[in-house]
Amino acid sequence: MHNPYIPKLTSIKDVVSENKVNDIKTLELEFQNDDDYKKFDYIPGQFAEISLIGKGECPIGIASSPTEEGTIKFTIKKMGTVTTGFHACEIGDIVGVRGPFGNGWPIEDMKGKDIVVIGGGFAFSTLRSLVVYLLDEKIRKDYKKITIIYGNRDSGEVLYQDVLEEWKKRDDIEVVLTIDREEKGWKGKVGFVAPIVKEVGPSSDNAVVVVCGPPIMIKTTIQVLEDLNFNDHQILNSLEMRMKCGIGKCGRCNIGNKYVCIDGPVFSLAELKNLPNEY
Amino acid sequence: MKSEIGKLYIELNEEFNFYAPIKVKGNLEFKKILNPDDIVLDYYNSKVPPKEILFPKTDILFEYKTDGKNVTEIIERTDLDEKNIIFGIRPCDAHSFVILETFFAFGDVEDEIFLKKRANSLIIGIGCNTPRSTCFCTSIEGHPFMKDDMDIFLVDLGEKYLVEGISEKGKELMSRLKWLSDADRKDIKKARELYEQAEHSIETKLDLKDINKILDPHFEHPIWAEISDICIGCGTCSFLCPTCTCFDVIDEMDQYHNKGRRFRIWDTCQFCLYTLHTSGHNPRDSCIERCRNRILHKFCYYPENYNMLGCVGCGRCIQLCPVNNDLRVIIEKLNSIKTKKEEKVSA
Repeated sequence: MHNPYIPKLTSIKDVVSENKVNDIKTLELEFQNDDDYKKFDYIPGQFAEISLIGKGECPIGIASSPTEEGTIKFTIKKMGTVTTGFHACEIGDIVGVRGPFGNGWPIEDMKGKDIVVIGGGFAFSTLRSLVVYLLDEKIRKDYKKITIIYGNRDSGEVLYQDVLEEWKKRDDIEVVLTIDREEKGWKGKVGFVAPIVKEVGPSSDNAVVVVCGPPIMIKTTIQVLEDLNFNDHQILNSLEMRMKCGIGKCGRCNIGNKYVCIDGPVFSLAELKNLPNEY
Repeated sequence: MKSEIGKLYIELNEEFNFYAPIKVKGNLEFKKILNPDDIVLDYYNSKVPPKEILFPKTDILFEYKTDGKNVTEIIERTDLDEKNIIFGIRPCDAHSFVILETFFAFGDVEDEIFLKKRANSLIIGIGCNTPRSTCFCTSIEGHPFMKDDMDIFLVDLGEKYLVEGISEKGKELMSRLKWLSDADRKDIKKARELYEQAEHSIETKLDLKDINKILDPHFEHPIWAEISDICIGCGTCSFLCPTCTCFDVIDEMDQYHNKGRRFRIWDTCQFCLYTLHTSGHNPRDSCIERCRNRILHKFCYYPENYNMLGCVGCGRCIQLCPVNNDLRVIIEKLNSIKTKKEEKVSA
């Protein structure tokens, strides 16, 4: 029998603290069974239910890219029982993984287009997955110009410093970092994401924009994007919702007749406008 | 003969888990029978629907052992292969199994815990001679004598039952019960009379045809505030609904014995914690949205996703609501949105 609630077991290979206050960590997981890893066939933008036996389970976006072979990564903020449990984990500890779940970013439809990636705060995890994927040497040629605009409250909150440094060195990608307030030694922009998007002014011509972040950032940014002539089909968004099962059975992540766990989490603005305003 | 129920139990008890209605602390509930004398056959319907047999209030997903910190073994359930007989359920509840089965099988990943139990269960249902005043199965294309969703169908003729095999599984089982005697014409005539009597006794006539088309464009409508006005958010309507499926997932750890289990437990969209995000944001933070979700899920999203209503007309939510928030009245109110609109157009 295939019991969809039984997780596959992984061991923690590495733990990286992502911010200065140390409440966001990235866990790198290695499947105990090779076959389980092969079956964990995912694309950027999907999520998994990850669990600690005895503590519980929670849905987390996959931060690694399928092109980074061998392991998978999850970036976790310390919030409740389960995530606090993850923060107490050490290398070698066992983590349960069910997934991948959800639709993910529409990487096929995005081919041949300019990609604008806009992220705010710790919602950047599935965007990291997307950008690492797009920059893979075998894949990069399928996509045109890539622009990243990533905003944070302060410099201590900027995730994935290691890959960001690599991206900045490349000439086939534009990386714009911004923080809310001026700081000594900060070389990036200063200001909220929406005005910075306006300043950068990406062209909407044959482009797709991917937006992930807190609701207020999304709202103000969409306004700017509309001014830049992006239409509702060009703007993609990944939603968060409380979930338990990840497979459309536990009921709580519905927006109208759609379930965020199986019909999303990625929706275009056009799709969102067709759904009731209940998310 | 009715007294032969004990005989049926003895014949099948070895092979099947035999579930039937019994009295538990004054309430009628469907339980695994240990003594056939406990079976209650004279009843309207149970408070807790027999869905509980296939989708229990707490249902183990898997068990595990640990070394004190990390998991060392995951233990799968083995009881799902057991065969069950569900005896004595009403046509409305038998129909709820069809709805539940559709729901749990929908999408790329099937819920095999439910589906396997369902596949291993044989349903012996009884026609409903005396529907309650709150019943409205005939408004949702059901009937107090609908037998399509059962394996064996019984009609209570007073002293005895008229027994009819419906599915192949049911017919096969019946062929094993050699002590059944042939029905005579009088019995069949009596059953027909009871059928008509039961049908006529249901006075509620609701217009549910195309209700999803009325509801779909009226997500934002003042009527939802009106409907939810008296609701106290207790969740009774959904906990006792034969088609509600929402659940929470909980871990339970026995640190002394280094073992534990993960199980699901009934939950309800009527509670505010149900949708509360970790960030504090709640997409359904008032009773208005939660009441709306329950109605829309059953009468709008179910037809849209599965081409069926998520309601069987059993009337439990009407009968057991502590503030008498009557689903029949709610449906009439919702239907009036359409009427009002049409009036406006013709004027």
